[in-house]
Amino acid sequence: MRNIRYANMCHWKSIPYRKIDNFRDFYYEDRSNIAYYSDWNNILKYQSALGFEGIEVAPWDLADILPLFGSPEKFAEFAKERGVEVIGMFHGAHASHAADHFEEAVSAGREAVDTIVKFGGTYMNTCPTQNYYGVGPLTRDEVRQCAKVMNEIGKYATDKGVKIGLHNEFFCAINFDNHRELIESTDPDLVHYCVDTAQIAIMGEDILKFYEDYHDRISTFHLKDTASQNLPDAVRYSQDPEIADDGTRWFWEPGQGNLDFKGLYRLLKQYEFKGWISVEYDGSPDLLASMAMIRYFLDNELRPIYD
Amino acid sequence: MKSENIAISLDLINRHYQEPNRNRYESRYFWEELYSLVAASGFSSVEMPYEPVWQFGGRSGVPFNRYCINTKYGDVDAYRTLLKERGIYRVSGITFDSNLFMRNASLDFYFGATGHFAREALGYAAEIGASYFAISPSPFYGRIAQYHPDLQNVMQDFTARTVKLLSELAEIAAGSGVELVLRNEYWSLFGPQKIFSLLEALDGKAKMDVDSANLFIAGVSAEGFIKNNIRQIGCVHLTDTNFTDENNIWKTANPEFPEDRATQVFRDPGTGSVNLESITTLLLDELDYRGPITCSARQTRDPFRALTRTRALLNQLEK
Repeated sequence: MRNIRYANMCHWKSIPYRKIDNFRDFYYEDRSNIAYYSDWNNILKYQSALGFEGIEVAPWDLADILPLFGSPEKFAEFAKERGVEVIGMFHGAHASHAADHFEEAVSAGREAVDTIVKFGGTYMNTCPTQNYYGVGPLTRDEVRQCAKVMNEIGKYATDKGVKIGLHNEFFCAINFDNHRELIESTDPDLVHYCVDTAQIAIMGEDILKFYEDYHDRISTFHLKDTASQNLPDAVRYSQDPEIADDGTRWFWEPGQGNLDFKGLYRLLKQYEFKGWISVEYDGSPDLLASMAMIRYFLDNELRPIYD
Repeated sequence: MKSENIAISLDLINRHYQEPNRNRYESRYFWEELYSLVAASGFSSVEMPYEPVWQFGGRSGVPFNRYCINTKYGDVDAYRTLLKERGIYRVSGITFDSNLFMRNASLDFYFGATGHFAREALGYAAEIGASYFAISPSPFYGRIAQYHPDLQNVMQDFTARTVKLLSELAEIAAGSGVELVLRNEYWSLFGPQKIFSLLEALDGKAKMDVDSANLFIAGVSAEGFIKNNIRQIGCVHLTDTNFTDENNIWKTANPEFPEDRATQVFRDPGTGSVNLESITTLLLDELDYRGPITCSARQTRDPFRALTRTRALLNQLEK
């Protein structure tokens, strides 16, 4: 039994078909590669063929997935038939720092947990509040308020068999100056942490040091690379910095940036990490090529260290 | 026929569906180069979709709502200046559809959100100098039915609230020099013949946006339809298709992607089965139509090829 199983964080944009039965005819309509990216049948098979046995969906996928499949359960069944299980869903806890938003933030979190349960998932990686711009810097009371919301959602999630993992974005109001404070203000039995390797490195954390410090809180990873560690506040706190105006990519496939993944895997081995890791490659122009590139890197560089 | 006043819709950029290289469409640099390429294709006037979705999640590189324009350019005037520098002298029209807000069983949510963002979009249309605001009077029929399986029971209420909203928008439009036109879509709760009941309820305060591919799909002769209703037409979209809806696809949740057989419903103008030459001749030469005309290549597999294909078609029609 392997210690680590690999999932793919879903960055596919809308996929309009469940399964295309007239693939050849559809291809001949324009002789482009669009037919290759238009049905979940093939998308999930690509994942399965490349050894990614899990998929982590996002709430913005639901508007398309639900009309197409009818329910989370039916999507999960369809994926399972192709060798892929839904491991969880991302969640954004909008405005959880605002005391007057407590009920709404908790209620939205609980709804998301319920959706994950329907998918059969067990992870809810959660951005603790919205972007820094227009909100930050947060007061200590506001950070504690975020923790209060996370604990409350965490309690509900734990009872349902779902682990919530704090997930930092480099542009979030919970940022370098207060994300450790947030972690330490939450109940370790109820609230875990999803290390997004690129996001926290861009924010200014050393990923090895961070994992050493918090290894007992880590539920899972979003494994992605960056060549932009420690971005200045002026960038992280600016308006909508995630998609750069000039096309600069903050995120790369593991192995294409300069994070020390081999060092991380040695630590995973030392602390005997067990669970799912989602690979991620936001900003890639070719998601299928990225998946294959990552699979090679995992098999040849990382899995020999710890599997 | 003179094509210099015919606009091209920027809906030719696929913002929402997966395809390789799609991610570039979310960055500002892509659009700023695109404007120059649109101008180089002989279009100095563009139509833009208004899409609130880009306000959420930090994707303001897509220039399709006021938030995005203010974030990237400061204000609408600065954006218009940029367009002019790139050779785009006019935003002819703004389109708006409400599918984003049909996502649960609450009609209050749907009409609240649709009303809020439609008013915002209309204000934006006026400020950017658009001559028309083309709104889809309903989301996909099948999407409504998904969240309201008792659609027939709520139909009367849905229609009454739609008329109320459109009446309010029509008044705002009239006061700001923009013409409100209702899109006539094959998948609509109010299309293609049912749109007349809406127009009647609006008592002349709005006109119709005729879309050639939508009529073709619904099995309606565009020429006959245009001839019979020319006085009610406030905008024309030249669109193309090979698709005809023989299996009630219009009633499904995602009708522009027929669930029974994958196909590209909307083809690049000039590459489908719609007789665009006959339609433009009728409009311009026989009926003396002088309202806005916009070419749309939505669902194109290659926006740059679509631009030149559309220009090639218009060159052909001008001969």
